[in-house]
Amino acid sequence: MRLDLAPKTLFITLGFACLLAIWLSLALGPVSLPMMDTLRAVLHLVGVPMAEDNLQQAELIVGQIRLPRTLLGLAVGAVLALSGVAMQGLFRNPLADPGLVGVSSGAALGAAVAIVAGASLGGLPEPFQPYLLSICAFAGGLGVTAIVYRLGRRDGHTSVSTMLLAGVAMTALAGSIIGLFAYLADDASLRTLTFWNLGTLNGASYARLWPLLLVCAAVILWLPRRAKALNALLLGESEARHLGIEVERLKRELILCIALGVGAAVAAAGLIGFIGLIVPHLVRLLTGPDHRIVLPASALAGASLLLFADIFARLVMAPAELPIGIVTVFIGAPFFLFLLVRGRA
Amino acid sequence: MRFTSRLIAIVTGLFIAHLACAASPEPQRWVSAGGALTEWIVALGGESRLVGVDSTSQHPRSVKSLPGIGYQRQLSAEGILTLRPNVLIGTEEMGPPPVIQQLRTAGVQVEVLSASAELPALQASLERLGVLLGREGEARQLSDQFIKRLATEHQRVTQLKRAAPGVLLLVSHAGSAPMVAGAGTVGDWLITQAGGRNLATHTGYKVFSTEAMSGLNPEVLVVSDRAQNGVQPREALLRENPLLRATKALRDNRVVEIDPTLLVGGLGPRLPDAVRSLADAFYPGAAPGSARASNAR
Amino acid sequence: MLIGKDIGIVRDGKQVLDSIELTMAHGQMVGVLGPNGAGKSTLLAALCGELAPTRGQVFLDDIPLDQWRGPERARRLAVLPQSSTLSFAFKVEEVVAMGRLPHESGQQRDAEIIQHAFEAADAMHLLGRSYLTLSGGERQRVHLARALAQVWPGEEGQVLLLDEPTSALDPLHQHTTLLAVRAFADRGGAVMVILHDLNLAARYCDRLLLLSQGLAYVSGTPQQVLTPDALMSVFGLDVLVQPHPERGHPLVITR
Repeated sequence: MRLDLAPKTLFITLGFACLLAIWLSLALGPVSLPMMDTLRAVLHLVGVPMAEDNLQQAELIVGQIRLPRTLLGLAVGAVLALSGVAMQGLFRNPLADPGLVGVSSGAALGAAVAIVAGASLGGLPEPFQPYLLSICAFAGGLGVTAIVYRLGRRDGHTSVSTMLLAGVAMTALAGSIIGLFAYLADDASLRTLTFWNLGTLNGASYARLWPLLLVCAAVILWLPRRAKALNALLLGESEARHLGIEVERLKRELILCIALGVGAAVAAAGLIGFIGLIVPHLVRLLTGPDHRIVLPASALAGASLLLFADIFARLVMAPAELPIGIVTVFIGAPFFLFLLVRGRA
Repeated sequence: MRFTSRLIAIVTGLFIAHLACAASPEPQRWVSAGGALTEWIVALGGESRLVGVDSTSQHPRSVKSLPGIGYQRQLSAEGILTLRPNVLIGTEEMGPPPVIQQLRTAGVQVEVLSASAELPALQASLERLGVLLGREGEARQLSDQFIKRLATEHQRVTQLKRAAPGVLLLVSHAGSAPMVAGAGTVGDWLITQAGGRNLATHTGYKVFSTEAMSGLNPEVLVVSDRAQNGVQPREALLRENPLLRATKALRDNRVVEIDPTLLVGGLGPRLPDAVRSLADAFYPGAAPGSARASNAR
Repeated sequence: MLIGKDIGIVRDGKQVLDSIELTMAHGQMVGVLGPNGAGKSTLLAALCGELAPTRGQVFLDDIPLDQWRGPERARRLAVLPQSSTLSFAFKVEEVVAMGRLPHESGQQRDAEIIQHAFEAADAMHLLGRSYLTLSGGERQRVHLARALAQVWPGEEGQVLLLDEPTSALDPLHQHTTLLAVRAFADRGGAVMVILHDLNLAARYCDRLLLLSQGLAYVSGTPQQVLTPDALMSVFGLDVLVQPHPERGHPLVITR
């Protein structure tokens, strides 16, 4: 059941949606800036000579607060959506979510360790202090995925069904360890942990952004090149092998891509759910499962969706902010239920 | 006498204000992140400057109508900037760090005061607040008063030469999941200041089993309930943990209730009253005119 | 040409196949028969490189199969499995087009080949439909088209292995499928097909291999293999074998 949008139409629409999302993300916020000021600030930031009268506030808000936030949203949205496509290809199931291999729970565990134990350990030297949480989350995500991957390997062959079960088990285990840390945590750490688990694009800064942008660029450049192989993998592992694809290597690379991508995204922005599950689904509903289209389209759609969600998150309760993970769940869960009811999952 | 000291304080204040005006205009728009800090600001007469407060600022009632900036560890830079503040005042618990940095870059004066439950920290905080508000004299006064009242209570109970009662302080939500205050918490500080002996030796807040609590057998139980929806904390606690009836505290009916907002965000101005109520409960019939009811909300 | 020499496979300590010799010459269609568990699918897995034999070797064009690089092998050897677990809503053209993955023949040539493959598999009327809306038999024909497209046109040196390609098909399409496979062989390709239906095997195959409990019971022409004694011994089936009235190949009639 698909709408059969022609690729050209799809990309033009998604491209437009993405540009609109970027513009709105730069122009809208709790502080109301006149559109012209925003435009002039943006142009000035990219180097176009501009009359600088009254531009200071706009440049500060747009350049220091909204622009890094927009870039973070684009990168996280794209990477999560692409990881979702990779997961669904790897498990040959349209309901697979990147969290199934344990990367999300591993990252949450890493974050819990950093938040609760970091305080008592005194923390790292000054320059690294702000990175501690991200580093621990990233390491946790990779670590748990590595364990799940090892559990799924036997005789040089990776069994995705074993990995699925291992992922479920590791997620449960990580959950109980996180519970232990929550018990040991004081009030303040507990609140911080809770907020982190809900995800946020708040506090985005260029310094913390560049590692994620690197990983994001790597994923965006690498995955689409495996589009045809991913198509074949959907037929089945044997069938793909018969078509000449090195299936074991492809599976390894996909798992690595998912671990790095989701790990980096979670390290930068906390746990944001449902993007990896919903976006590829939406794209397939519009245009079919051909990865050559689904991959780039999902990246665009994921980035746009996350930005729109973020705009809502920062406006709805201004001057306070709603954690973005809540917004994505509110969009994602009903849509997921709708898919199940429709029986087309 | 009092009038003279007030006069001196006002003149001194004006003088300093004059000096400050020569340098830069006094900050007029304040955002406060921290319940106790907000209370001190109001106590020092700075309520008119407040344009926004965080979610832990619940007293006095009037500040609850101010715009909220959310939880103090998850502030939004742009959100705070909509209030066009000159000063953001909070404790070291403010965050996240990039947001604080963004606010500094935007020209907001960020003042970080200590949130620890220790008197020297409180004195330093009050002193700084005094400088910022141009009310150094009043700040020093409040600081001295705070310490003096604590000393008075301390003297009162030590004079009695009675053994300090064993106390447990419980924080629960509608009676369930009661957590016991241990060392380093404001709860522990309160118990000690009021001349009690905290039977809990751990650090921070921990969940105890009812069995463990009965085993410690406190003579006085201090309860604090976060639900605050009209449910009587004591009844709720007993409903959820009926075995507590076996403790000495409940058999002798020595249960005190205190406001949970007193326990977070450092030392605030309502604490001396709370210490007084607790001391009364720990040493009943000790001083005239202090036979207050146990509710200290 | 695909040759299996002295193939032996042990799985979970059990000797599933032993000392199997099989030569698939170009232009020939070899049928593999046997009861369930005789090792037919295991043999196919060994011949296409999916299973490494415990003993013996498989040669494609005189080069050991494990030395072939994936895409090169895929250009010469295609496999049609018994069933498919594809659960994504591809168009049937997209599924068949995946057969051209190992090749770099360009879009136009690919489109021509896909068209031919659809015709050969008698699936032209399915064009434009979503794979998930097809019946089991229709899906099988789409996959047949895919396999044909992979090794189109079936010249000398190209090999097609099929695992029970007629199991879900109605009688007409059982024949059209095997006719298409036969045409592939006639153009020069080599074919191995696992079949349950003895009469279909007798009609379309040049040679037959009858497996019993992992061993080659008998191999040769249909006349040589399909004898009442052999069929009683291997299948436990009491049969009469008579020549087909018009075509002359053996016709197995159960008593």
